[in-house]
Amino acid sequence: MADPKQQILDQLRQQAALQNARALVEKLNEHCFERCVPKPGTSLSSSETTCYQNCMEKYMAAWNTVSKQYLGQIQKGVGGGSAGAFGGM
Amino acid sequence: MDNALGSLSPESLQSLEKLSPREKQELGQMAMQEVQKVQIQQTIHSLTDMCFKKCITSRISSGKLDRSEEPCMQNCVDRYMDANMTVIRHLEQLRQGS
Repeated sequence: MADPKQQILDQLRQQAALQNARALVEKLNEHCFERCVPKPGTSLSSSETTCYQNCMEKYMAAWNTVSKQYLGQIQKGVGGGSAGAFGGM
Repeated sequence: MDNALGSLSPESLQSLEKLSPREKQELGQMAMQEVQKVQIQQTIHSLTDMCFKKCITSRISSGKLDRSEEPCMQNCVDRYMDANMTVIRHLEQLRQGS
């Protein structure tokens, strides 16, 4: 049987990854629905769908930019937050 | 992360009890690191939320960040950190003044 410690850590990590993905989808939907579907009709129009696709990609690009920038900052030690510097995120 | 322990399988919880005190301590430290990572990710989510609202204001016509949006997002993160530092410094001053 695998190392019980490792097993527990794996479960925690998995849980965190799931939570992370869920948070991204939730935020993305919140912004893109607001931006792309101002007046909901009887179905999603093709322009709304296109907008949604662009918006999703844009939001994820924004998320990546923020990640890089924020991790860069905390690794430099700026911000004085509780977070130490660790990579592999 | 509040429900993290609740999400462990019963087998894992059982094996948790069998760990030696040293192993428990090691596990605790590693779990704390995971918690820190989650906190960082949460900050990234809320920063993306805030900065997207501020920086992506024109019509969404492409999936990429354009030439003005990308630097705006970067500045938004940097200025938020500055602002955060200002608050911390100010509180520090208040604490020393009293």
